[in-house]
Amino acid sequence: MNGLTGVRSLTTLPVVTLGGDALAHVRDTVFDTSAGRIASFTLTGRTLLSGPLPRDLPWPAVHCLGPHAVMVRDAGALCDLPPSRAHRDAVRGRLLGAQVLTDDGEAVGTVLDVLVESGTSGRLAAFRLAANRELVHGSRHRRHRVYVPRGEALRVTGRALVIPSHARTYVTDDLPAFVARVGERHARGREVAS
Amino acid sequence: MMLFSRVRGLPVMTPGDANRLGEVRGLTVDSAPWRVTSVRMARGRLRRGAVVPWSALRAAGPDMLIVRPAGGPEEVAAHHELIGSRVLTECGEERGTVLDAAFDPVTARIEAVLTTRGELPPGRLLGLGDHALVIRTGRAHHQA
Repeated sequence: MNGLTGVRSLTTLPVVTLGGDALAHVRDTVFDTSAGRIASFTLTGRTLLSGPLPRDLPWPAVHCLGPHAVMVRDAGALCDLPPSRAHRDAVRGRLLGAQVLTDDGEAVGTVLDVLVESGTSGRLAAFRLAANRELVHGSRHRRHRVYVPRGEALRVTGRALVIPSHARTYVTDDLPAFVARVGERHARGREVAS
Repeated sequence: MMLFSRVRGLPVMTPGDANRLGEVRGLTVDSAPWRVTSVRMARGRLRRGAVVPWSALRAAGPDMLIVRPAGGPEEVAAHHELIGSRVLTECGEERGTVLDAAFDPVTARIEAVLTTRGELPPGRLLGLGDHALVIRTGRAHHQA
């Protein structure tokens, strides 16, 4: 099974060819929110002072997303793109900091991190939220960081993200338990489908 | 079979006049097929780098390398160090670093790569670049 990785930890991962050469580092992850998966990565150069590169790495060119590197087949995987588009994509596809609402219109928190499946799928699996008190009850003085699965129908409108209200049943603050529960839910979904 | 670590520091001589050209600093390897392509050596007191192609060697023994007289030292070519490079699977997972490698002194083919996480046959190697040695993901390789 593929593990889950937070996209914040993808920043600074090297982009490495199967020939072993590092091409760039990941700067930002751009999501295709309608498909619910990674659309592309924006890149920075390899040295400390090199700024953003005017090139990006589209997801279909990724060989495998691993915990220590993003593997690509060869240097031809990177695409040139005009800087204006790079900026626009980065703003549009950014989910971090977006407000999270349930489909009955209740604000439940803001997105701290997005968990994606590593490997070849690039599927967006869940969100890590800074939860409001409506979602997690308890001490006002404790900061609540919880995981919420993405709904089957993920909707993003502007800077807000809508999750189904039943996703609240799967809220947990412990990642391994969360992965197990989501796995269970998927298994059940498959049983129902078959 | 010879080890990269044993070759390092060996004198490089010309036959006949037994002229000492320098000493071995490292070996350059090439993929497809995985073999040693040249010997990098340090010459003289200033330790200037020079490269001798493996085909210019007449013999590689346990105590010295003998170069054909015609095959003199050439200029330094692009080189990625195998020993000490990090090992990365094609799925982007780190698997330790390369400690040593064994090769056949006659055919110059790499026979095995020894890493901190076990030994790798040459069939598992995919590419060696400036960042890492990339290997195929295999299931029956956990020897650590």
